Amino acid sequence: MMDNQPSRLTAIALAFMAVIWVSPFSWLILNAFNPLSTGQLEIPRAFGFDNFGLAVSGNAGRQFFNSIIIAAGTATLSVVVGISAAYPLSRLRIPGRNAFLWTLVLLRMLPSAGVLVPLYFAAQRSGLLNQLGVIIALTILNLPFTLLLLKNFFDTVPIELEEAAYVEGASLFQIVTRIVLPMSRAGIAVVWFFSFTGAWNEFLLPLIFARVQDAFPMSVGLYAAFGQQGAINYGFLTAFSILYAAPAIGVYFLLRRNMNTGFAGVGVKG
Amino acid sequence: MKNQANPWLTGNLYVLVLGMLPAIVLIGALLYFTAWAFAFSFTDLALVGRKSVEWSWVGLENFERLFTRRGFLESLWTTVIFVFFSAIVGQSVLGFLLAATLRGTQSTIRSVVEVCIMLGWLLPDIVAAFLWSATTSQTGLINQLIVVPLGFPPINFINSYALPVVTIANIWKGTAWSYLLFSAALDSVSREVVEAAKVDGATPFQRIWLVQLPIIRPHIATNMLFITIWTFTYFPLIFAMTGGGPGRQTETLAVFLYNQSFSRGNLGFGSAISVAMLLIVGVLSLFYLRLLREPK
Repeated sequence: MMDNQPSRLTAIALAFMAVIWVSPFSWLILNAFNPLSTGQLEIPRAFGFDNFGLAVSGNAGRQFFNSIIIAAGTATLSVVVGISAAYPLSRLRIPGRNAFLWTLVLLRMLPSAGVLVPLYFAAQRSGLLNQLGVIIALTILNLPFTLLLLKNFFDTVPIELEEAAYVEGASLFQIVTRIVLPMSRAGIAVVWFFSFTGAWNEFLLPLIFARVQDAFPMSVGLYAAFGQQGAINYGFLTAFSILYAAPAIGVYFLLRRNMNTGFAGVGVKG
Repeated sequence: MKNQANPWLTGNLYVLVLGMLPAIVLIGALLYFTAWAFAFSFTDLALVGRKSVEWSWVGLENFERLFTRRGFLESLWTTVIFVFFSAIVGQSVLGFLLAATLRGTQSTIRSVVEVCIMLGWLLPDIVAAFLWSATTSQTGLINQLIVVPLGFPPINFINSYALPVVTIANIWKGTAWSYLLFSAALDSVSREVVEAAKVDGATPFQRIWLVQLPIIRPHIATNMLFITIWTFTYFPLIFAMTGGGPGRQTETLAVFLYNQSFSRGNLGFGSAISVAMLLIVGVLSLFYLRLLREPK
């Protein structure tokens, strides 16, 4: 199809680019598997998993759990709240619903640091400067996007199926749980994992909400650790980074096909 | 297309509205907080101390400070440079070139390159910041593999060239999004059109510039809209890499906003900064949306 002459040259250029792109990882991996790591870029003289052992025990292990709680909590809450609102939004002809949703999405694209000040105050007043507060705040910030995506997915479920089920005597609850949800399973999974990785990576909100070290998720923990001057244990930090990055990356490759359709939908449906 | 003719819906309106209630409450909270941020920008509210309780309305004073005190305009300029080079020039152009090139290559090469680029994008911001700080440090990868072997003394990039370093880090991190979007966009260009141009003797460059680019113009505008806004308000990477320094070299508006609000505790002034950012982003979005709509 395409002309064949330049293809070898392009292949070399592309390979070169790929190497450049992943080269920063070399340092991360070399240090993480080197128990005697000094933070230098060097071929390790020893090899072992000691650093990973450190990165899952004690404080670091707690931060891992904090991250899991925040990410899974946010994703689940967003999806549950999102589904129960997106289905009516998709089916009832509420005037101006699309314009409203898009306005909300645009609103959310504004600097979240701006909404942060009121969020912080509200959380402080109601004693929510903790995990639960972070989960609720992230859900609030996520919701416009979640609603829009879920509504788009529900829109693709043919209403005839629901009519048929109704004629057969199914209740609203049965229609939603037996037809609508199974048929938009892939979409719901995408939204869940979007919210999960978003909350997993979130840094600013927990930074402000988490007042004590016990409440730090991994993002804040990592920042706090490499921000300290002095004796930095690079082996530990690199192993910790890899563990922290793994779920976000793993989830993507697990759901690669679904994710790509999700992106295309988001980007182009404008 | 009869409206509201679905008995399982009309018969259960209460249930449906009840289902929407939590979302309505949370969206209400979002709108309320946004309105609150606006209101704060006219006060001298502080994070700690007396003014955190006994704040007062100060009118437009915060907005005057944006232009009369040092800081805001410098940050705005830094942000413009950062957005232009990392998002518009870097991510968008590189993403498009990759998408256009990879379409013609074998699927193995394509997936390998794709995975490499995606790794940057999927990496949590803080890990990316950590990685790039290490890569550009005095003993880092660039110095050990390029600068020192060429006979130069090692350069502390993150201190001497802070803004270019964070710009490159952001290109590295964000190109995947543009790539994915352009990839999807180019898939939507029908093969016949491109083949026809080829038969008519168009060079590869002409095929891209005169045929494909005009067709995917809406996608370009969408992409620009998203990445401009994201980069404009992007915070964690720069903050974790440099904290805005050295000096104020990398203090983009998002970092400036954070520093003013939470390090110095000037919440009122911080809110004014976010309102100003909102206005700028709003104007930019309108510009891109016009580009998107305009049929040509």
